[in-house]
Amino acid sequence: MNSKSDPHQWLSEHGDYLYRYAMSRLHNEELASDMLQETLLAGWKGFDKFAGQSSIRTWLVGILKHKIIDHIRKEIRNRNLTEAVENDPTSAYFNENGSWSEAPSAWKDNPEDLCQSEQFHAVLDSCISKLPEKQQIIFRMRDITGEDSETVCKSCDITSTHLHVLLHRARLALRKCLEWNWFGQGTRP
Amino acid sequence: MKHACKEISRLASNSLDRKLKLWEKVKFHVHLAMCSNCRNCDNSMKLIREASELIQKTKYGNIRLSNVQREKMHRTLKESTGG
Ligand SMILES: [Zn+2]
Repeated sequence: MNSKSDPHQWLSEHGDYLYRYAMSRLHNEELASDMLQETLLAGWKGFDKFAGQSSIRTWLVGILKHKIIDHIRKEIRNRNLTEAVENDPTSAYFNENGSWSEAPSAWKDNPEDLCQSEQFHAVLDSCISKLPEKQQIIFRMRDITGEDSETVCKSCDITSTHLHVLLHRARLALRKCLEWNWFGQGTRP
Repeated sequence: MKHACKEISRLASNSLDRKLKLWEKVKFHVHLAMCSNCRNCDNSMKLIREASELIQKTKYGNIRLSNVQREKMHRTLKESTGG
């Protein structure tokens, strides 16, 4: 059935699905449609490698996924985004003895209400944009897109230990920023 | 406090990315039971993730290729594959 190499048919049947996959990771219409097009062409050229154990869609998603990982990896290399593990910014949130320097408050909101609030989207975005760039990329991939840790590590050329360190930093900083700017119970600086 | 809150915040974050080891789990839950600050931190990290995922789903769950994009792609495919 699906064993014919027909990129036009793939575009009709799986185009929206693949586009959604790319958009949710690249957040850029032009880039996402370029990636989709490259994927269809790569699929057409490499069709002899499609063994048919999986569906065409799964196979195409695999190609697209690798293209996106490559793209992000190049981006990070080009901009030379590095972050040393050595200096630890999370110390700022704690006292010498490791207790909270400012007590985190209880957040009563539920995710559905937050999702529906345009204002919350704006505050969340602005808090994310204050993170160091590499943390932004990693946090978006992991907590927003829901990418698995392995894919994030591959895209960013880091070990899983480094990933965990950077996510800890990002989440503590975001928590604090949201507490000040949204949940509003902390003391403003 | 037997285990410093800083270390517990690390485990709270890690627990979103990997399975905690048994001894870590014990340490984590024993501390959470006694420390409302770390409970709040743990809950807020989870809430941030849940809300973010939901926002993402709403944002991208229904998007489609536009007709213009689709036609352009068909054209390029035709030129590149000769079919
Ligand atoms: Zn604590």
